[in-house]
Amino acid sequence: MITRPVAVLACLAIVAFALPLIVGPDGIGWPSGSDVRNVILFEIRLPRAILGALVGGALGLSGAVLQGYLRNPLAEPGIMGISGGAALGAVTAIHSGLAGTFALALPLAGLTGGIAATLILLALAGSRTGPVTLILAGVAVSSLAAALTSLALNLAPNPFAASEMLYWLMGSLTDRSLLHVWLAAPLIIAGCLILLSTGTSLDALSLGDEAARNLGVNTGTLKYKIVAGVAMAVGAATAVCGSISFVGLIVPHLLRPVVGGEPGRLLLPSLLGGAALVLLADFLLRLLAPLSDLRLGVVTALIGAPFFLWLVLKTRTELSP
Amino acid sequence: MSGLAAAVISTAAAPPSRTADLVPQRIVSLNLCIDQLVLDLVPRERIAGLSFLAADPSMSVMHEAANGIPGLQGSAEEILALNPDLILAGEYSTKATVDLLRRLGHRVVTVPMASSFEDIRKAVRIVAEAAGDSARGTQAIADFDRSLADIQTKATLPRITAVAMQVNSLASGPGSLIDEVLEAAGYENIARTAILGRGGYLPLERLVTAPPDLIVLANSGDDFRTVLGDNLRHPSFVRLTGSQMSVHLPMAQWLCGTPRIVSAVKTLRDLSPKLAARGRLQ
Repeated sequence: MITRPVAVLACLAIVAFALPLIVGPDGIGWPSGSDVRNVILFEIRLPRAILGALVGGALGLSGAVLQGYLRNPLAEPGIMGISGGAALGAVTAIHSGLAGTFALALPLAGLTGGIAATLILLALAGSRTGPVTLILAGVAVSSLAAALTSLALNLAPNPFAASEMLYWLMGSLTDRSLLHVWLAAPLIIAGCLILLSTGTSLDALSLGDEAARNLGVNTGTLKYKIVAGVAMAVGAATAVCGSISFVGLIVPHLLRPVVGGEPGRLLLPSLLGGAALVLLADFLLRLLAPLSDLRLGVVTALIGAPFFLWLVLKTRTELSP
Repeated sequence: MSGLAAAVISTAAAPPSRTADLVPQRIVSLNLCIDQLVLDLVPRERIAGLSFLAADPSMSVMHEAANGIPGLQGSAEEILALNPDLILAGEYSTKATVDLLRRLGHRVVTVPMASSFEDIRKAVRIVAEAAGDSARGTQAIADFDRSLADIQTKATLPRITAVAMQVNSLASGPGSLIDEVLEAAGYENIARTAILGRGGYLPLERLVTAPPDLIVLANSGDDFRTVLGDNLRHPSFVRLTGSQMSVHLPMAQWLCGTPRIVSAVKTLRDLSPKLAARGRLQ
């Protein structure tokens, strides 16, 4: 189902993928000398671009699925505490030494944290609660995850742990290598495939639980598919890049007026849009402030938080009698 | 509760000495770097307590000497329980704790953090004077200057470029202790001339493009196992440190401005003949 918006977004994502490859600390261009150029292009810039695309896609798609499933415009992996849970899982694995035991331990720990947070969230809120309860549940889960992350780092023997925690919360794509790509890519792709398969069920669900069941949707299976998909995609993304917030919130909202309100039609565009947004943010970051080591997560939060505020105000107006 | 009781007793029963002519017998240090100065300048039996980091091998070159001396987390209660007659605090020691100790009548001396060799001499002088043994301080400074001069009087070598990389892609630039160590060992620190970002940020790409002759690993990835150490574990950085000459300078050796920094100067200086030979071969 290649619609025009999808084609446009795909082109945008491809352009956004290519841009970071040609931008470095010294502006646009490659350094001279073919050996050095290859190292920089394939080992430093390419992993960054691949991870940007994967992480952005995972966040955008997860946001769209959560908003569709919970029928709540404020749902997003960051606000709901899923990113926080994944960060907790990853930090715990690193500081307990588990991350060093086998290659996939780190993303799997992120995944476990993400699943735990998602399950707690769904248990707290369910799918029929109002926006306020759901956000409260999300705040509770993310505060708990943040508190436990602090605890894990507080108890770590290294006194520099506090600064490491700070950097976890400020997600970044800097200095990531192909190793990080191999660690995260399989889980992110698998998670995204699961999430993309929920489109028709989400469309049916937008008519109500009853109607969805009459249309043959198994709501129980759907729930577990979403939990697994979001936790895999966001968990693995957070485990290698830290928390990059608000992408999942903004992207579906930006695209809804273009592709229409049906949740199913929003999934692929949100995946592409999320990838494009993260890659463009990273590109601008390096073009405008190449030597500041400004963190990607800080920038997305700076864009996202006012957007969230606007969304809360809009929702309040819509809900008021 | 017992700490509090001890605190009350200590201030009531044994009013801490305010007279500088009395030689302090129960010295407490609240800062890792001051700990190491105290261990060098004061006889062990007069040290009542040090910061808990003094016995940490990854951060303190004097960890063996610190073993067996009470390690403090820095709360006023545990300090008071030791009934100290001199408390040495860093500039950045918790102000609330220091103020409280002063209010209770304790003698607190603040020692500025040393980020140059001149600062080291000042810090040695302050600690030795506070401990009532200025002569020991003068002696330590003379020893320090002589060891530095010994290292430097060896044949002068052509200028070799170097950089000291820390976690988070930070290079130690001008105004840092490592910069002075590199200078004293006869290297040209590229962080002085390269255009760096805030805090000495040197992007990996730049380092790969124009690497210096020597890369000093000022941190190891093992010290920073999560995101901060990613630059040190990056394959292109690992390959670079494999092909260029590189040396790991353990954090404990350069973290603190004490006369022991001479060992870092010596480690780096000893490499320069090898580096010069390499340069001639290429």
